[in-house]
Amino acid sequence: MSATRFSEEHRDALQEVANIAMGEAGASLAQLLGAFVRLSVPRIQISGAVSLPDALGSLIGSGQRVTAVRQSFLSRVQGEAIVLFGEAGCAEVADLMGYENTLAAGERREMLLDVANMLVGACLGGIFRQFDMDPGFSAPSLLAENTPTERLLSAESLDWSQALTVEVHFGLESSAFSCHLILFLPERSIDAIREALDRLIAQL
Amino acid sequence: MPIPVLIVDDSAMARKMLERALPAGWDISITHAANGHEALAAYRAGKAAVMFLDLTMPDMDGYEVLETLRREHLDCFVVVVSADIQPLAQERVKKLGAIGFVRKPVTAEKLEPLLKEYGVEIR
Repeated sequence: MSATRFSEEHRDALQEVANIAMGEAGASLAQLLGAFVRLSVPRIQISGAVSLPDALGSLIGSGQRVTAVRQSFLSRVQGEAIVLFGEAGCAEVADLMGYENTLAAGERREMLLDVANMLVGACLGGIFRQFDMDPGFSAPSLLAENTPTERLLSAESLDWSQALTVEVHFGLESSAFSCHLILFLPERSIDAIREALDRLIAQL
Repeated sequence: MPIPVLIVDDSAMARKMLERALPAGWDISITHAANGHEALAAYRAGKAAVMFLDLTMPDMDGYEVLETLRREHLDCFVVVVSADIQPLAQERVKKLGAIGFVRKPVTAEKLEPLLKEYGVEIR
């Protein structure tokens, strides 16, 4: 029901809202890593929950191994933010951040949780500021380590019949580092997002 | 003669926001383009004495548009309008010939000083 009322105009507007927010997140990441960050065009889609693992696979490419960090947020809109780090680039992040030795597993987790927390804070902060909302965040937690993307989310792990997803990608020019930030908004949040977008569109 | 102004952004909302931020008394004719290919086609059709250019776009991005304009010695005032606020992004587009960089979301207040600097006459 919600999906059919989410028009092309809403999708276009949400893409631009996400684009503005990811610019700030990208700049923070660039500062942290001392490298130029390439931003993607945000991708917006509505999926049935059954197909969320498939949706992830099609966004990221199935079969890729990733470490995933999950953080939930709550405002008038609630949902989950998931940051996926490609395994290949994780070691390089440590180098860029100035760690001299190979990281112990615990240190590596902590570093990725910090990076994810920064990206989620900047991206969601940027999106919700444009909506005049002020979300609260849970602490980031590790969802999976070195796991193929298609095994990340089983249908039962998210109890939603439908979700709006917003995906952005951050890459570096001279490094294998790559990470995706995906927002999952459950059906009951889609209406609130749509209303916020309607208010933005009405100002034009 | 109105000045041909081209607004290049993959988002229709972003193009509308930019249009709204342009000075009301500026005698212009506005064309929209949704990616780099459309932008260059519009330029070649004489529709871009001034171009407001987004960087992150599918198919052909803003950097590629700037590179093409430069390579072909094309004459156009390009103002980059982007959410990418890395200092290096600004440096790069200026090296590629952009006259200005405006951070999204674009507003009249952000555009006005730049347009004045380039002698845009607003009635």
